[in-house]
Amino acid sequence: MGFLTPALLAGAALIAVPIALHLVMRRQPRQLKFPALQFVRKRQEANRRRLNFRHLLLLALRCALIAGFAFALARPTLKGSGLRGKEGAPLAVSLVVDNSLRMQYVHENQTRQEQATKMAQGLLSKLPAGTEVAIVDLSRAASGFVVDLSTAESRLRNLTPESKPRPLEDAVREAIELVTDRVDSRQEVFLFTDLNRTAWNESAVAAINETLASAPEVRLYLVDVGVDEIRNMSLGPLQLRQQTLRPGEPLRLEVPLEVVGLSEAPLVALYLEGSTDQSVKRGQQIVEITPEGLGQATFELGDFPLGTHQGYVQLAASDPLAVDNTRYFTVEVRPPAKVLLLGKEPRDTLFLREALSPSSLDPSVMGQSLPADQASVQFHSASERFADGAKLTLGDYAAVCLLDPPPLSDELWQALADYASEGGGVGLFLGERARASGFNEGTAAQLLPGQLKRKSRYQTYFRPQRLDHPSLAALRPYAESIPWQAYPVFRFWEFDELSGDTYVVARFANNKPALLLRSVGQGRALTFATAVSDPPNPNGREPWNLLTAPDAAWPFVPLMNQFIGYLAQSDSEPLTFEAGETVSLHLPPKERVSSFVLYQPDGQSLRRTLPPGDDTIRISTTRNLGNYRVSSGGATGQLKRGFSVNVPENVSHLQRVDSDSLIEALPAEQVRLARALEDVERYVDIGRSGQEMFPWLITLVALVWGTEHLLANRFYRGTVS
Amino acid sequence: MTAVEKYLKPEVIRQISRLDLRAQFIVKGFLQGLHASPLQGFSVEFSEHRKYAPGDNPDDIDWLVYAKTDKYYIKKFEAETNLTGYLVMDLSASMAYSYEQELTKFEYSICLAAALCYLMIHQNDPVGLITFGEKIADCLAPKSKRAQIGNILSLLAKLEPREKTNIGNSLNQLAAMLKHSSLVMLFSDLLAEPEEVIASLRRLRHGGHDVILFHVLDQAEVSFPFEGLVELEDPETSETIEVDADAYRSEYLEEIDQFRTLYVRECRQSGIDYVPLDTSMQFDRALTEYLINRRNWG
Repeated sequence: MGFLTPALLAGAALIAVPIALHLVMRRQPRQLKFPALQFVRKRQEANRRRLNFRHLLLLALRCALIAGFAFALARPTLKGSGLRGKEGAPLAVSLVVDNSLRMQYVHENQTRQEQATKMAQGLLSKLPAGTEVAIVDLSRAASGFVVDLSTAESRLRNLTPESKPRPLEDAVREAIELVTDRVDSRQEVFLFTDLNRTAWNESAVAAINETLASAPEVRLYLVDVGVDEIRNMSLGPLQLRQQTLRPGEPLRLEVPLEVVGLSEAPLVALYLEGSTDQSVKRGQQIVEITPEGLGQATFELGDFPLGTHQGYVQLAASDPLAVDNTRYFTVEVRPPAKVLLLGKEPRDTLFLREALSPSSLDPSVMGQSLPADQASVQFHSASERFADGAKLTLGDYAAVCLLDPPPLSDELWQALADYASEGGGVGLFLGERARASGFNEGTAAQLLPGQLKRKSRYQTYFRPQRLDHPSLAALRPYAESIPWQAYPVFRFWEFDELSGDTYVVARFANNKPALLLRSVGQGRALTFATAVSDPPNPNGREPWNLLTAPDAAWPFVPLMNQFIGYLAQSDSEPLTFEAGETVSLHLPPKERVSSFVLYQPDGQSLRRTLPPGDDTIRISTTRNLGNYRVSSGGATGQLKRGFSVNVPENVSHLQRVDSDSLIEALPAEQVRLARALEDVERYVDIGRSGQEMFPWLITLVALVWGTEHLLANRFYRGTVS
Repeated sequence: MTAVEKYLKPEVIRQISRLDLRAQFIVKGFLQGLHASPLQGFSVEFSEHRKYAPGDNPDDIDWLVYAKTDKYYIKKFEAETNLTGYLVMDLSASMAYSYEQELTKFEYSICLAAALCYLMIHQNDPVGLITFGEKIADCLAPKSKRAQIGNILSLLAKLEPREKTNIGNSLNQLAAMLKHSSLVMLFSDLLAEPEEVIASLRRLRHGGHDVILFHVLDQAEVSFPFEGLVELEDPETSETIEVDADAYRSEYLEEIDQFRTLYVRECRQSGIDYVPLDTSMQFDRALTEYLINRRNWG
């Protein structure tokens, strides 16, 4: 308990007055003659006792009256909450409003964010003028104290849902740090939250605890705007087999689905966006839901023309949280990349050609077309001899591979180097024919990763350790299952003095470099230290390796597809992102532009320029959910790409933490939980000035006064009968 | 102003002159048998004639009238006794008490006594005066002369009630003193132990005297009108008691009521006329009322 005006408590000393009057200035009785004293005498003792009792009762009442007055005027306040701070100090208040997409959950015709905003506005209106207020949300932008309350009100009104919210603890930390700077003020942080389990995970609670411990003056009020009974249908992340399709390759979409608190079987529809911005429904299905509330919808669409295609999958029914009912996707259909395979003889290119574009898939070879899902060919490969190399127009090809090259003419090397520096990809598969003398000098050295040292005869095997490089990334799902030991490498080239811009992508088991990447101008040169052109039993010598052994050489196919895909820069890159992620779109040499227009889902378009020589578009303004388009050069331009931005998966995780255990986990003396605006106001009152007892006390005083008056009247001025 | 004028005002005389004071028991004895009356000097005073009606006692026919008028008339008589009355006045200091009233109890009693004295003299009955404090103080022999009123009242006017009182003892003394059956009119506030007083009243009554007890209290003693804290002092003993009057009023009234009820009951049992009075009552009206009632009883 505390007092707002404790000095007035001194007034209680005035109870000395009635006591003194009682003791010193006893009321003198009127002296009267009265003969009939014998009747008085009989009950004199009882009367005297009663008289004394009444005197004492009146004295007690009067003392209580004075003490009560002093007590009431001192304005006692109940501080049962223990949230005591600097009394009378100005206020520094941070209002943290969770504006993540999850807060778009609608309950009683109000989203949680609207509810939070409304309560925050209600709270603002209660704050005394001169209060410093900061509005903090979960967007990345830094906040500060606003100029006045009306500015705070307008900031609250203009809060928009944040698709890529920062962790709650970061916002709380910022809010606490803001108010902590106001050393002389009462420091209060109001956090409007739905107590979501994802947001309030253990690390968040620990971080908030830590922050609070470092700011003991700060009081944190959690205002719960969440809903206990959750009803939601949500679509999980779309699973596409390929983001980049070849002509004729079908699109297969799998959509996981989760239903919480609803019983109906959801209807899921697939829409494709046409060129006129009109969406066309291309499929729908009712999904069966397991007792756990899970289900999956599968769509398959074929016959996409070349280009970028965008669409979305949507739940037909509405539910309280609408934001996770739609998932967007973008796929690209590209023509097969043209790859030039150069060998001394045509058979040198056989393995690689078969790996890249199997003859079984070539209609011209097979004489018939294959089913659509098997007919996709990633590469068109052409085999040529080294001798003819100088005559070819390398620029027509996306990549050029040299298979077991002998020392070549300077002219060809120069052509290759020029080709690479203009953005082409050159693959070098070194083998028996290479000679250190012919390779370590002249123009060839521009493409090679370093000086050729010697042919190693030490048996080993290709053992890529980390598959995070784009040239190997596609193997990652199978990393554990590829038995690299089964494909021994008997010979390989060792290097001396790797050039500074060389990166070792993968090594052999003996830790010697196996796959080396060197940037050349805008292009790249990828060197594999062993040959892939040897037949299993070459004449007069051992094969360089068994990677191409025909009986079990399956890893060779994806490995080569990855290598060449990387070189041809036609590798499939992700086109679906979560909100807030930075999108990277790699531009093949032919599509390189200096500026482009970004069309956002909300219809706005932004013109952006690309630094000269940059081959990647990076877009970080991906807060809006939906399909984005990137184009350049007008309607007939060179660049037409796109990507999709979806809601993060955890938005659909609506389970709440148990408020009691949460409060227990936070420091009790600093944190309070409120469910309604009244609770907030009460805490504000209690925390700020305590629960005022004046109304009750003054009523009590009035009662005592009335009783005293009544008794005094009755004792001293009874009516004459 | 003489004592008579002071205490016996013409309007009072007008009020009571049409009344009489009869001794209930003595008259009864007279009516029961004239021939056997143990007392001397009784006379029958003619009152009026009225026509004889069948059923009247033929002895009452006035034959002289019959002789003159040849009609039967009956002679009506008015009984008259030689009733000896004693006005017995309490001289205790408490009788001098008055709280916001014009008359003290003593003065009130004198007024009453004067009226009764007048009445008796008017009936030619002898009236005497006896005053007492702790014992009988003054005694004026009964006489029926008109001058007796002046004598009695001038004596009373000279007296000052300032003595301590012993009513029982004084009444016993009085009972021993009175030789013949008399009418004893006692004026007192009876502020003494009631047992003693009642015992001596019984004794007086037992002596064949007709007793009228005028219990005169001050209005304040009846209603206890005090407020707040008061210190009460007994004028006789100077004893003081401090009381909260407001709180005590109801208890006091209960006590005084019990006290009066005790006398009412005892007096009725003993055949004594108990007349409770307080000084706020108009004494002449109270007296008139009493006398009318008494005649009706008779």
